[in-house]
Amino acid sequence: MHIPDAFIPIWQGAIYWIIALVFIALALRWARNEMNEEKLPLVAVLAAGIFALQSFNLPVSMGTSGHLVGGALAAIILGSPFAAIFILTLVLIIQGVLFGDGGITVMGANIINMGVIGGFTGYYTFKGLMGLTKNMPVSVFFAAWLACLIPSLACAVEMAIAGTFPLTEGLIAMGIYHAIIGFIEGFVTIAAIYIITAARPDLVDTGVRAPAGASSS
Amino acid sequence: MIEELFEIERDAQKDSVVHRLDARVKIAIAFAAIIALVAVPYSTMVYTIGAVFFCFFAFLWCCTRLSPVTYLKRLISIVPLWGVIIFFQIFLKNKYYTDYHTVLSLPLGISIYAESIEFAFILLVKFMVCISFIILLSSTTRMHDMLEGAARMGLPAEFALALGMMIRYLFVFGYMFRKINETLKTKCFDAFDRHLPYRYRLRQLGYMIGTMFIRSYEQGERVYTSMLCRGYGKDSYLFVQRKPLKGTEWAVLCFSLAFITVIPLAVWLTSFRLL
Repeated sequence: MHIPDAFIPIWQGAIYWIIALVFIALALRWARNEMNEEKLPLVAVLAAGIFALQSFNLPVSMGTSGHLVGGALAAIILGSPFAAIFILTLVLIIQGVLFGDGGITVMGANIINMGVIGGFTGYYTFKGLMGLTKNMPVSVFFAAWLACLIPSLACAVEMAIAGTFPLTEGLIAMGIYHAIIGFIEGFVTIAAIYIITAARPDLVDTGVRAPAGASSS
Repeated sequence: MIEELFEIERDAQKDSVVHRLDARVKIAIAFAAIIALVAVPYSTMVYTIGAVFFCFFAFLWCCTRLSPVTYLKRLISIVPLWGVIIFFQIFLKNKYYTDYHTVLSLPLGISIYAESIEFAFILLVKFMVCISFIILLSSTTRMHDMLEGAARMGLPAEFALALGMMIRYLFVFGYMFRKINETLKTKCFDAFDRHLPYRYRLRQLGYMIGTMFIRSYEQGERVYTSMLCRGYGKDSYLFVQRKPLKGTEWAVLCFSLAFITVIPLAVWLTSFRLL
């Protein structure tokens, strides 16, 4: 899902950067208010964990690359979509500047897709489903699945606007790949949240509690 | 990618003229080159500008005293993934050309067009040169220096601090991943072994991911507490010392930025093309 440099014309990249900067400013406000000495290690370890998750890439012929996203995981654990934007921005900076995974001129578009769309989709899907079903694994699974699928479709639309890939084929290729990858993302997110809520319930901010029978030892 | 992180940091610890340059100079040069090349319209002009920029990169790489094999290794780890995606361009029509000439017709109505091949090459040239500058930047700048440089260039303190912590955790994750992987190997566990039940494999992988997260977090928390005891805190990056650039660094920066700006303009004005 990482768009590399040159795949989007510079003026479109600039527009995505401007939109992303608005959300980055809001995420920064979240960090100033919420990121205290206790929460900082959690933010950093989540960023490192998501970086590790995203490092397993597959090429998608009519799009960019296919991989896990992690936006839902960050938003659910830290209890805010802006946390996901903050963390995904960190991840994308490291990936772009150190590894060339995702471009510099298109980082705004990548932040919008994975951080903004992924974070908001994951967080509000989880909140909505949790309110309806009161079932943590189901809510987390669908939140993570959608937070993987929707950003990939947004990426296909951006590539089509840029003229690098056709819209229909791009949507189909990116959609199918990420619908499948979304299943893995769903299971990984459930596993991570399940174990964290069982072992360290104090770290989770969304009111998610360990399922009955899970011990904290 | 985590394994590559250790290699990149090893290269960045070496010593050369380029390694000794202030991180801000290298960040500015790399970003300027990428922006300038991406700003060139999708036309054959990119070949000339890309070639000149690549020569500039090659000169800087020679000054790093790093082996060309290091560069090639890193390029090979990045390019195949994107190479496949760029390769698919040869089958597609796009809005940058009006007329298309078929070079080869394949079954199922698939065709390869001359203009699409040209577009794929343009993308490849732009992509390769951009990636080369990223490789140069990351192979010659230690992560800590890059972070300090970015903080001095205006990166918000919250980002600088969290990035610094994240980089530490990446190494902790790397070590943790190695340890857990070795343990699973000694138990002969293979996540792709079809003889094992799905439920068992999923549970083991779930435990692995969760344990990696919890252990990294707890180890990192201990490290962070020790750092707090030594005076490091969440406001540390608010007070990064000011460090003016030296005369030679200004000279390198000004010359490079002028070169990066003038070359595309000159090529565009003269409409000089290699092909």
